[in-house]
Amino acid sequence: MTRFRVVHRTEYAYGRSMADGFTSVHLAPRGTPAQVVHSVALRIEPQPDEMEHVTDQFGNAVTLLAVHRPHTALLLESVIEVDVSVPPTPVADTPWEAVVAAAAGASGALACDLGPYLAHTDQTPFVGGVSGLPSLTAPEFTPGRGVVEATRALCSRIFSEFRFEPGFTDVTTPLAAVLAERRGVCQDFAHVTVAALRSVGLPARYVSGYIETAPPPGEPKLVGVDASHAWCAVWAGEAGWLDLDPTNDQMPPLRHITVGWGRDYHDVTPVRGVVIGSGGGQTLSVAVDVAAIG
Amino acid sequence: MSTATFRYAPPPGRFDEVVGTDGVTRDVWRGVARALGSLEPAVLMDRLRQADRLLDAEGTGHLVHDLTLADSRHGPPAAAPGRAISHPWRLDPIPYVLDAVEFDWLAACAVQRMKALEAVLADCYGPRRLLAEGVLRPTDLFAQPTFRPAAGGPGAVTRWLTSYAVDLTRDDAGVWHVVHDAAGAPSGLGYALLNRTVLTRLLPDGLRAAGASPIQQHADALRHALASVAPAGRPSPRTVLLSAGPTSDTYVEHSYLASRLGVHLVEGADVVMRAGRLWLRAIDGLEPIDVVHRRVDDAHLDPLEPGHLGGGVGVPGLVWGARAGGVALANAYGTSLADSTAIAACLADAAPLLLGEALRLGVLPPGAHLATSPVFDRADATVRPRPVVVRLQVVRHGDTFTVMRGGAARVMADGDHPTHPTAQIAKDVWVIGGAASRVARVTVAPPQVDYGSSVPKRVADSMYWLGRAAERAEVATRTLRVVSQQVEQDPTLVVVGDGGWGVGARALLRAAQGVPLSGVDGAPVAEWLPVELVATAASAGAQLAALVQEAASVREYLSTTTGRVLGRLARAQAQMADANPSPEDLDGVLADLAALAGLAMESTVRGPSWRFLDLGRRLERALAVLGATEAALGPAVAQLALQPLAEATLGAHECLVAYRRRYRSDVDLGAVTELLLHDDANPRSLAFQLDRLREHAAGLGWPDGSRLVEEAAVAALSHVEDTVVAGRRIGVDALVLAVRAPLLALADAVVQRWFADPVNPTVVRGQ
Repeated sequence: MTRFRVVHRTEYAYGRSMADGFTSVHLAPRGTPAQVVHSVALRIEPQPDEMEHVTDQFGNAVTLLAVHRPHTALLLESVIEVDVSVPPTPVADTPWEAVVAAAAGASGALACDLGPYLAHTDQTPFVGGVSGLPSLTAPEFTPGRGVVEATRALCSRIFSEFRFEPGFTDVTTPLAAVLAERRGVCQDFAHVTVAALRSVGLPARYVSGYIETAPPPGEPKLVGVDASHAWCAVWAGEAGWLDLDPTNDQMPPLRHITVGWGRDYHDVTPVRGVVIGSGGGQTLSVAVDVAAIG
Repeated sequence: MSTATFRYAPPPGRFDEVVGTDGVTRDVWRGVARALGSLEPAVLMDRLRQADRLLDAEGTGHLVHDLTLADSRHGPPAAAPGRAISHPWRLDPIPYVLDAVEFDWLAACAVQRMKALEAVLADCYGPRRLLAEGVLRPTDLFAQPTFRPAAGGPGAVTRWLTSYAVDLTRDDAGVWHVVHDAAGAPSGLGYALLNRTVLTRLLPDGLRAAGASPIQQHADALRHALASVAPAGRPSPRTVLLSAGPTSDTYVEHSYLASRLGVHLVEGADVVMRAGRLWLRAIDGLEPIDVVHRRVDDAHLDPLEPGHLGGGVGVPGLVWGARAGGVALANAYGTSLADSTAIAACLADAAPLLLGEALRLGVLPPGAHLATSPVFDRADATVRPRPVVVRLQVVRHGDTFTVMRGGAARVMADGDHPTHPTAQIAKDVWVIGGAASRVARVTVAPPQVDYGSSVPKRVADSMYWLGRAAERAEVATRTLRVVSQQVEQDPTLVVVGDGGWGVGARALLRAAQGVPLSGVDGAPVAEWLPVELVATAASAGAQLAALVQEAASVREYLSTTTGRVLGRLARAQAQMADANPSPEDLDGVLADLAALAGLAMESTVRGPSWRFLDLGRRLERALAVLGATEAALGPAVAQLALQPLAEATLGAHECLVAYRRRYRSDVDLGAVTELLLHDDANPRSLAFQLDRLREHAAGLGWPDGSRLVEEAAVAALSHVEDTVVAGRRIGVDALVLAVRAPLLALADAVVQRWFADPVNPTVVRGQ
């Protein structure tokens, strides 16, 4: 078990004075079998006039805040501490077709739990063609193969076929372009993997969080990002939900701090903001610091 | 067919609304046919034309939809790219008729469907029994863009659907089916009321004689239902109708319905969420709002929500405020989900599970052949059989459901899918017989909005610019008319063009266009005259376009007669774009602009909205008089040229007749400036405009405005001395400059003080 502290600063400078500002924040981590939340703090400047904590349809904690007096900047500093342990390796590995059948035939609470993560969405659509999703899944999801083994192989395939390249994509780049170009950032790797898993009928979540980028001595530095990180989770039948990080080819991920999950990036965007005021040149700066503290 | 007055031959073997399979006119239609009187083609054509005119007067034809809403002042319209500008619909002179027994059955089906959809929405955003029991596939729910992850929440929504509309059609065997559910922001009620208003004017006795149920009180039912969903503890809740604005393809209906309901029509920028409540940005400050009847779909409602489309369009924080109980949304956020075909497809299985009832009405099977109704074809004046889709409107108030006894049907063109009839022809739906009205007679509360005292800032803003555009259009048109007439009557002005007439006349035209006078030199008249005339016509056309567009966004503050005049001006705008509008065209425009000004004075309540309209008009007129004076009377010209120039200036400002009556002499500069600038009894003079501006500033309780008006008034008192320096009458120039500076400052101050509120919100860039 490792205790991590994450400091995530988001700073908007609007260029001009804004009369009202509204912000929706997905920054508070949720507990999982492998993660215990130790402390959560959110510092906001200026002090919001309104603030509310709600839970979204996927069980994530959302903070809504509003500033109703002239302000030219907004600072959000999220400081969290969580205890993370590496999940145990699943004992059984069910054939993936059986897991697909179980997901499709699920009823009751399980159907409600899996439902949101079976469907392709705007950001994780089905993409066919030579560079499409079947080019990734067909070689790995062979008849009778274990779901964990096949998913792990898919994860490795995406890791090796796709190049991590900041700046090529943004949040609006369609999945088809990412697949055609075979490059992107962690959100794209996660969307590709999620869409691929859903295309064979497996429930898959998009997971938002952080990764510790400073390598322990003697180990290679992981490919990380300055801001938040994203990966995914697959439902593997009896083994439950298993996380995998295609950007780093890790299953299970080893130094990851989970914030929340949804169908895709839109469901768990870390910070969404809307301001009312005459437009200026806005600038955004984000700094994330992840440290193992014990 | 057999009806004596009605030549109509539906195809045999296919259900028709009028003629039974036995070839005999249906019972319900016999009485209606008698009540309609003659249905000869000539009569029908006449009614059709009348209907066109009446609809035009309501602004359905021209105010919004035929204009390209290019806006010089606000930048390009905030319409979604690719959004079709819809065309005006036409009303068929033949109604669609249902007998009461059949209608009551359909109404019961519609109510059952509304209940079922309410239960489905509560389930999809709540316990999800439909998923757990396999009735709804997860992909049919979670892959829908209309599924809103932030909707619902424990106890957040007590009523999903307050209003609901359902499209129904009959197959060729006469069996009814559902075509489409409209649950998110159902449209059509305003159109139906508007159609009925028109048909009532066409057939005042026919409706009564046929025994058609009235429908107007359905708007009252909606108003009361909306009030009933207000957050607890708001004894007299205040409702607004939220629209996407004039670029919305159903804006005409929003505007009509808002005035029918007696509520403010607001756009996103008119309201703001603060302290958990929604507020109207009114001229006198923020006013609280309790209920939003939103006619904006879920995806364009709140830019803070995931999956929002259209950038900053919408009201940030509205969904949060509704979830927290500070404001009620009708219909609730998330209800657009129920519009989807996937939900419609599962409804037959969902109803037994959630309601314990089997649905009475099924969904139209693909490829079904449809029944026909008689539709009048204006192209060749014949009545043809066509399929139609009938939309029923339902309002829910507590556990009481009210189905409008009538409504609108839409005619399908060849090859149309029933979900998208494209013929742009509506039929008024008549329900014959049965209870006259199922609506409990509710006491009609006075309209909650006093249009005289409570005005959104945007409305005041538009009224002000409407006034300015009207005045500028008038000055440009009249100057064009006067100068071209002068040249026509005295061609020597062009040929000789001397003594300085050319310099003054050109400057006068340029002032009327609102362009700088610089560059006006002694070029031969024949060289520049055609160019300046065309440019002045174009400028008048642009001002007319601006006028019509500003009017479109404040439609409910203007009378129906005003709408008719605006419809004509919208058409005239196209004529002005022609190279050479005829004198008759120009006179027509001037007459319509005069009618508009008269309506503003005689048919508009003297509240803030009128005050800003008149303020804009007076300010523009004062500036125009100054501009013309500077242009035509500033240059020192020979007495020979002064005469026609002074006459043109007086003529362009409607003072020539007054001048001749008063002075009965040749033109004298002192007398001209006296009448144009100083005579406070002349409603076209600068002094008169300053008096009105003084009253408006005082009426608004606005000291800064009063101070600027006084400054202008003091400067305007100075006598115009006829001293010439460097070819200019410096007395004229000095007065114009001294009065114009505070007036331009006033124009800035109006915008700063009264309108300068942030417009649309901006979405902050993501990370």
